[in-house]
Parts: sequence; C-alpha cells; structure tokens
Amino acid sequence: MTSPARLAAFALAAVSLAGGAAAQQAAPAADARAVVGAPRGRPLAGAELDAVAHDVAAVLRCPVCQGLSVADSPTDLARNMKRQVGELLAQGYDREQVLAYFESSYGEFVRLQPPLRGVNWLVWVAPVLGLLAGGFIIARSLRRAPANAAGAEPAAVDEADDALAPYVLRVREMAYGWPGGDPPPPPGEGKA
Amino acid sequence: MNRRVLAVGLLLTLPLLGVLVAGLGRDMTVRSPLVGRPAPGFSLRPVGGGTPVGLAELRGQPAVVNFWATWCVPCYQEHGVLTRAARALEGRARFVGVVYEDAEENVQDFAREHGASYPSLVDPDGRTAIAYGIFGVPETYFLDANGTVVSKHIGPLDDERLAAELRKAGLRP
Repeated sequence: MTSPARLAAFALAAVSLAGGAAAQQAAPAADARAVVGAPRGRPLAGAELDAVAHDVAAVLRCPVCQGLSVADSPTDLARNMKRQVGELLAQGYDREQVLAYFESSYGEFVRLQPPLRGVNWLVWVAPVLGLLAGGFIIARSLRRAPANAAGAEPAAVDEADDALAPYVLRVREMAYGWPGGDPPPPPGEGKA
Repeated sequence: MNRRVLAVGLLLTLPLLGVLVAGLGRDMTVRSPLVGRPAPGFSLRPVGGGTPVGLAELRGQPAVVNFWATWCVPCYQEHGVLTRAARALEGRARFVGVVYEDAEENVQDFAREHGASYPSLVDPDGRTAIAYGIFGVPETYFLDANGTVVSKHIGPLDDERLAAELRKAGLRP
C-alpha cells in the first residue's frame, strides 16, 4: 500500500470511529431530529450558549412547579430540562425548535408565552383592544363633561313629573344654594 | 344608559363565565400530546444491569410503560396491580417500569421486598421522562403493538382501569 493510500485509509478509519462515538453521544439529538427536524440554527458555545439557554429556559414552564420557569426552578426535572436546552442549542437547534421539542411532549402548557396561533391571538390582542376601548370611553366622557360642568344650564324641572319636581328643586337648593331651587335672575336683569 | 351598561357588562362577563363552566365540567388531567403518535424512542439499562430495553423490545404486543419511584406512595399502591397483571399477561402484553428521580439501590431494595415481574429501567438525567412529558409519578403510558401511544393514565392504576386501558391498546380477552 502506498503512503497516500495508507494515509487515506487511516483518515477513513479515524472518521468512522469519530462518527461512531458521535452517534452514541447523539442519541437525544436523533430524538429531537425526529420531532422537530434538522437543526435550523448554528451551534452555540461558551457565554453565548449560556445566555441563550437561560433565555429559552426562562420561557419554558417547569412542569412540576407552580408558575415557575425552568430557569427559576431548583427541581431536578427543571435542571434536567435546562441541561437538554443547552445540549440542543449546542447542536444547532434554534430557539423555536427547542421550545417545539418540549411542547411535543408536554403540550403548549410548557410555554410560558403562548405562541401567536389559534385562540392564543386573543391573549395578545384582547388587552390592546381593551385598552383602546377604555381610552375611547374615557375620551368620550371627558368631551361631554366640560359641556355639563360649565356650558349648559341645569335642565329645567320637568313640570310634567309632579312627583319628582319637589325633590329636584330641593337638590338644586342644596347644591347651588338657590332659594326654592329656582335659578336666580341673570346679574343685569334685576337692575334694569 | 343603564341598559347599555348592562349589555357591556354581560358582553364582558358571559364569555368568562362560559370558560369557567367549560373548565369545571372537564376532566382536569392534562391530555398528553403524545396520544395517537409514535411513542418517543428509548433504550435504557435495567436496574441492576443487563441488556438495554427499548421500544423495539416492546413492539408486537400492547405495552405498559410505567414511570415510578420508590419515594412515591401511590406507586406502592399500584405496584401489586402491575406485578400481578404482568405475570398473568405474560406473552400477551409487555410491561416496563422507568425509574423517575430515584437511586438504583432504592429500586433494588424495593424489588427484593415487594417482588418484581418486569424490568425497571434506569433513566439517566430523566431524558425519557422528559420525552414522555412526565409531570410526576405514577404516570403510565399504554402503547399498541406498533408502538403508538394509545393513552396516558395519571395516578395509581387499579385492576379495572389497567384492564380497560390494555383493551384500548389492543389486548384481546
């Protein structure tokens, strides 16, 4: 065997050995691939991996806790989930794929931020709509209020409603200090 | 004006009441998204050593995959049910336990004390438990002969429930 051929054979053997080892370690990745497809991102490492893993764990619900994220929970299950988040990101799965991987086993419940689909739109849109509706109602009442306060005279007593009339006059007497509840004549009118 | 206030109030509260009533009437167990899908793959070493057991070994017959731990009291309750059923249904259904967050020695002690008729598997880092969406123990998955998840049961199993779930998974009487 010539030297280049021997080198090539050695390289092939090394690659196949390395491949075998990788295949043994990559069992969870194979599982993830079956669930969410091939990695769509780039493999992360170091400080960037830690930061992104923490961000993803912060929007994953700890299944055995009350309203805690995987990032915040000290339970074994949350620690194991966080470890898997790191492994998946290191293998090149993007944030959405990692969330989808956990969603495939725990359901949408595992997401602390419901994704924008189906009825979930309501969760995102309803507060904005509520705010707009509230603003509209307040704006309308404010537009009406000055007209009542300053501009318009109190409405005349509905003489037809005899039962109510004495009460209305009494209220006016108390509220405006008009004796008998009747409005005083305009300032210029009495002197003329 | 009062009618308008009433209408707006009803418009806001009726949907909320509807959601409340619908929620109260429903079984509060979380439905597994795995039901109807191929069971997540695993290949795990039995407690005490031996050849790894995986999904491939469970195929061909209805299978029971029971997640449990020795620290879980309801798991004690259902242990007898599962052990008896595994013996009675040998050759017709396959049973496997997956140990959840527990030490191997505890499981060995438990098996010596209470007996065992099917393998319990060691699940390093809880990977299989996470793949199966386990919230706590005991939780049991029922697979058909093709390895498709047919149902999930949360809490201890009794004889009737086990028989019913196994029938759903394709066990013939």
